[in-house]
Amino acid sequence: MLDYPSLRVVFDIALGVAYTLALLWLVCGTVFRTTIWLRSRSRFLIPLAPAPVSHAGVAGRLALELFTFRSLARASKTTWLASLAFHYGLLWLLFVHLRFVFEVLPLFLVPFIQFSGLASLCFMLGLSVLLLRRLLVDRIRYISSPSDYLHLLLLLAIGLSGTLLKRVWPSSLTEVGEFLRGVFTLGWAPLPDHAGLLLHLLLVLVLMLIFPISKLVHGVGVVFSPTFNQRDLG
Amino acid sequence: MPVSNKTVVGRYRIIPIIQDGAMSDAHTAQATPPVQLANGLPGSLVADWHDKAISRLGELLQERRGLQVFMDTCTKCGACTDKCHYFLGTADPKNMPVARQDLLRSVYRRYFTFAGKYFPTLVGARDLDKAMLEDWYRYFHQCSECRRCTVFCPKGIDTSEVTMAGREILACIGIGQHYSQEIISKVNTVGNNLGMKKPALANVLESLEEDIAEDTGLVIRLPLDDDGADMLVVTPSADFFAEPHVDGLIGMVKVLHASGIRWTFSSTASEAANFALFTGQHDQMQLIAQRISLAAQQLGVKRIVMGECGHAWRVAYGFLDTLVGGLDYLDPAHPRPEHICELSHQLLQAGLITLDSERNAGKVVTFHDSCNVARGSGMGGVKGGQFTIPRALLKACVPQLVDMSKDTTHQKTFCCGGGGGLLTDDLMDVRIKGALPRAQALQAVVDAHKVTHLVAICAICKTQLSQVLPHHDLGEIQITSLHQLLGDALVL
Repeated sequence: MLDYPSLRVVFDIALGVAYTLALLWLVCGTVFRTTIWLRSRSRFLIPLAPAPVSHAGVAGRLALELFTFRSLARASKTTWLASLAFHYGLLWLLFVHLRFVFEVLPLFLVPFIQFSGLASLCFMLGLSVLLLRRLLVDRIRYISSPSDYLHLLLLLAIGLSGTLLKRVWPSSLTEVGEFLRGVFTLGWAPLPDHAGLLLHLLLVLVLMLIFPISKLVHGVGVVFSPTFNQRDLG
Repeated sequence: MPVSNKTVVGRYRIIPIIQDGAMSDAHTAQATPPVQLANGLPGSLVADWHDKAISRLGELLQERRGLQVFMDTCTKCGACTDKCHYFLGTADPKNMPVARQDLLRSVYRRYFTFAGKYFPTLVGARDLDKAMLEDWYRYFHQCSECRRCTVFCPKGIDTSEVTMAGREILACIGIGQHYSQEIISKVNTVGNNLGMKKPALANVLESLEEDIAEDTGLVIRLPLDDDGADMLVVTPSADFFAEPHVDGLIGMVKVLHASGIRWTFSSTASEAANFALFTGQHDQMQLIAQRISLAAQQLGVKRIVMGECGHAWRVAYGFLDTLVGGLDYLDPAHPRPEHICELSHQLLQAGLITLDSERNAGKVVTFHDSCNVARGSGMGGVKGGQFTIPRALLKACVPQLVDMSKDTTHQKTFCCGGGGGLLTDDLMDVRIKGALPRAQALQAVVDAHKVTHLVAICAICKTQLSQVLPHHDLGEIQITSLHQLLGDALVL
């Protein structure tokens, strides 16, 4: 009897292995990017004045920038609201995905899962506004490269495929859970045969791969910006 | 009396539709070979300029963390696109801060990033060719490094760091800007930007003493290289001869006279300005700064006070300590350079000077926050002191002080349009257009409050605004030094 079990196994776990490697790359690549920033010398203090004088003040400034996008709020309320909706929607949805990591659904996730529809809406609405202004505002169109549009489209496609999986074309939550747990525990499990799921996961894979080598790394970069993280020593 | 936004016309809020190439004919003269050579730079564009520029960019990325981070973190969100006075005034898209940065960033991506090396079109990476080099020269000299865009950038990207790096590379491969490089060569050889030698300076000071005596009947000295002085005063050399600066200098020496502190000018450090900040040349910035510290040590002073000069104050406040390797010789009670406004404010608070605002009767004054003071430094050891101290002084010496629209003052102040090494005749078109937002905000308070005087504490602001405001139908507004009004109100 002809039997190629080994080949079948390779196909089954290929995506799981790719995910493990991509996660490693995501972490190592981002750390490597920050080491490039840190290796660069910082001889002169160039905080944007008025700057905080204490370390606590700097922490506060960074927190405001990271969590409220304060400077963006000064610049354009539309962009600010769209960015907040998109980023917090994304954070919420990432959190909801923890359901796949736990074998038994933890209770604290239940309210988050209940409102995940709203989070998806914020995520995609925010992205759409950002995409629309990139297309419609002459100044933003001028400064945009193909990758700037593609980043937004990639995120939108991830959001759309995810929503599709949740609302219209579900797959087995348990099996997805096994797959994801396998990614973290190196006990790779096959995915259910589901084209929508495969698409969603492949898009996320691309996102993880380009994160450290693209502008997507900006969230980490904010912390290393000398105009934000330096004190006024005068 | 603060001005509410409602009374402000606010035409500067109208954002122009981009006009590609609108300022592509603006050109500032390249440094002549003797000037380049005097500053240790190649006399003209070197044959291997491409390789040399890329390798210098690589070095700068390792020497300036800000530059490296800023190259990587821009998301092209567009927050800065309508914040630069040069864009608002010219509509040239390359004057949008992000587009200006992208002149360097696109080259960075091409030569230093994976995506740019293998997928240049995808990520907007560009080869460094002759056309790009010309754009670098053109548009890095249409930025006054005022950092207004940074205020609005969610990543904290400082375009001035990018402009400085761009100019540094250009100077390194043989094409520095004549205006700034010539000034740097003069300050190095003679001691000030004007190339004014000691006898000439002594003459000027003497004739100023005579003028003051004629006006006030008082003997007020303007000491030069006084060995027993306790305090060195370093002021921009424009104060010694230019209008309206010199009236500010007179006001300043009146205050110094009233203070009772024994102070002096120095003939070897007769210049506060440090144009190497503008050109991004850290080695030159260090040489120019050391001159001040050396003079202070030779004269044996215990205090350094800086006159009304925006970028000089930024260098003194933020960099001097680093540049000269410590200021331990200063009085522990005054361990760092002080701003003349800070000193006057101390004197006023201590009751050591008396001001009579009636002496400035009829003047309605508004204050132009200078970019380097507002966003690059501090003052008086209190947060926001650079905003409150000058205004407190003005309130004490004029009957009516009004503020321009709040999105054009304080941290969000608009540059005068002539800072950062652009105060040269060959960039007059850029300067006039760049002053548009400031002129519009000023027009609003002129209409609403009949403002008569615009006060600045920066030599560049004063020269620039005096020259360009007439082009905006604001020629009747007096551009005034803060210390001129202070000196006029001073009861001696």
